[in-house]
Amino acid sequence: MRQFEAEILDNRRVAESWRELSFAWDSDAESPEPGQFFTFRATSARDPLLRRPLAFSGFAADAGGAARASAIYQVRGQATRLLADLAPGARLDVIGPLGRPFPAPGAGERPFIAGGGIGLGPLLFLDARLRAALASPTLVLGFRNAAALPSIDLPRGTIVCTDDGSAGERGTPVDWIARNAPPSRDGAVRVYACGPGPMLAALASLAADRDWAGWFSAEQWMACGVGACMGCALPRADGKGYLRACADGPVFEAAEIAWGAER
Amino acid sequence: MRPSLSVRIGGLVLANPVGLASGTIGYGSEYEHLVGIDAVGALYTKAVTLEPREGNRVPRIVETPAGMLNSIGLANPGIEVFVADKLTELRKRRCAVIVNVAGSSEDEYARVVERIEEAAGPESRLPGAPDAGAGGTGVDGYEINVSCPNVCHGGLAFGTDPAQVERLTRAIRGRTRRPLIVKLTPNVTDIASIARAAEAGGADAVSCINTLVGMSIDVARRRPHLAMGTGGLSGPAVRPVGVACCFKASRAVGIPVVGLGGIMTADDALQYLLAGARAVQIGTGTFVDPHCASRVLAGIERWMEESGVARVEDIPLMLEE
Repeated sequence: MRQFEAEILDNRRVAESWRELSFAWDSDAESPEPGQFFTFRATSARDPLLRRPLAFSGFAADAGGAARASAIYQVRGQATRLLADLAPGARLDVIGPLGRPFPAPGAGERPFIAGGGIGLGPLLFLDARLRAALASPTLVLGFRNAAALPSIDLPRGTIVCTDDGSAGERGTPVDWIARNAPPSRDGAVRVYACGPGPMLAALASLAADRDWAGWFSAEQWMACGVGACMGCALPRADGKGYLRACADGPVFEAAEIAWGAER
Repeated sequence: MRPSLSVRIGGLVLANPVGLASGTIGYGSEYEHLVGIDAVGALYTKAVTLEPREGNRVPRIVETPAGMLNSIGLANPGIEVFVADKLTELRKRRCAVIVNVAGSSEDEYARVVERIEEAAGPESRLPGAPDAGAGGTGVDGYEINVSCPNVCHGGLAFGTDPAQVERLTRAIRGRTRRPLIVKLTPNVTDIASIARAAEAGGADAVSCINTLVGMSIDVARRRPHLAMGTGGLSGPAVRPVGVACCFKASRAVGIPVVGLGGIMTADDALQYLLAGARAVQIGTGTFVDPHCASRVLAGIERWMEESGVARVEDIPLMLEE
């Protein structure tokens, strides 16, 4: 991990209240992996105070060594509103890469990638990586309705689900995977996911029923982002205390966490 | 001539007045790859308790105007893991290490200190020696947390009663020769009386302030943002409260006061020093900018040069009243 001042390269609107940010990556920092995140500060004022975490949605380095990282974010509070106001050329205080990335699928495992909302960015990054590694992932993304679809080029073959059926398949990514993924023990499956707690809880239960490997990325409020403050704790599924989203995660094995539980 | 930045707390000489506050820096290793921790005067560890503590239910933090509320609940691995794992890490530190101790009874505090004394051995550092930290015992002093607002027993229950603070301080005093700093809560009517109690019990210093009890409610969901309901407020929002507490405490006791609460800049730190603090701690500021402490230290030094102040220990005498 490294702290640096990043130059913003692009910060475009991709849907109502959603943006895609790209910034120059510091060549002295490690290259981010899918599932990892960075924290940023868009102001040096004392309010809003804390850094905000964002998961990477992509990373690319050119032949000359110049690299850019990107993230897809929802404008939903003071800090993201300030971020949305930054134009290309502006500077952003960045710390990253942080957290544990998604692990690669095991030999012979068929990867399904499911999510939506704030999970979109890291899942697109993972999908691109798995395609590049010829792992043939199935990407299943859920949205509220057709109007909520972002104006970004989704990879060919992406399954789009909407709650109201106004675009793609009706229902949630979990419904789609339950119907279309091979049944239990009929070929190994690994599900990757990032999204709202109830969705992760449903998918964790499906994965457990069908004996699939599952790796999910969690969301939690953070203060430090580096494992020191114990603020971003998530309850363990076995009831034995908590794990830190920032340093033990944000990617966890599906059975490790009581997803969607507040306790 | 460069100004003298070193400050004395009991028998301990800190290389400079800027420390990293307990609960915001773990045991040092989490931030190690990001910043040079050893450049600070002192690292105050995450609180250590007798038994391991899982910490409170989640969510544990929420941002508030120019601040944050936390309800971590002293999550820590307990004294045995501290002694087995953390102490080795802390011995590598070149800054002073102050171990923050918490408990739910006088006996618990005492047993934690006894166990650390046993594991760390007697003090070995020569006060004021350059690089005294290298090869140290890993423990240069204790900060006694009698002011955590987020645990049911101990914490605030101790820190709001002068008689209990005095008795607890005396009990710990009897078990160590290392410098003893008692961390005070602002959630009291008269912080001066608590500071005097700590001094009477044998403390070498008091630190103030711990967080202020606060609450934030999610109106749409009609429930508190924090699972525990209330939490401890920190960050720039509390700085004026901290400065006032330091001012009152420093005028009530003869021992040094360590100031903390919302320090983000050198100006903030100088307010505490002018109010009567001999040293300061950076807490929430590190979350916001891991280099906060080094910026604050550089700014204090620059201000001293510009103002012709030779010794940082003289700053508390400079307030015009």
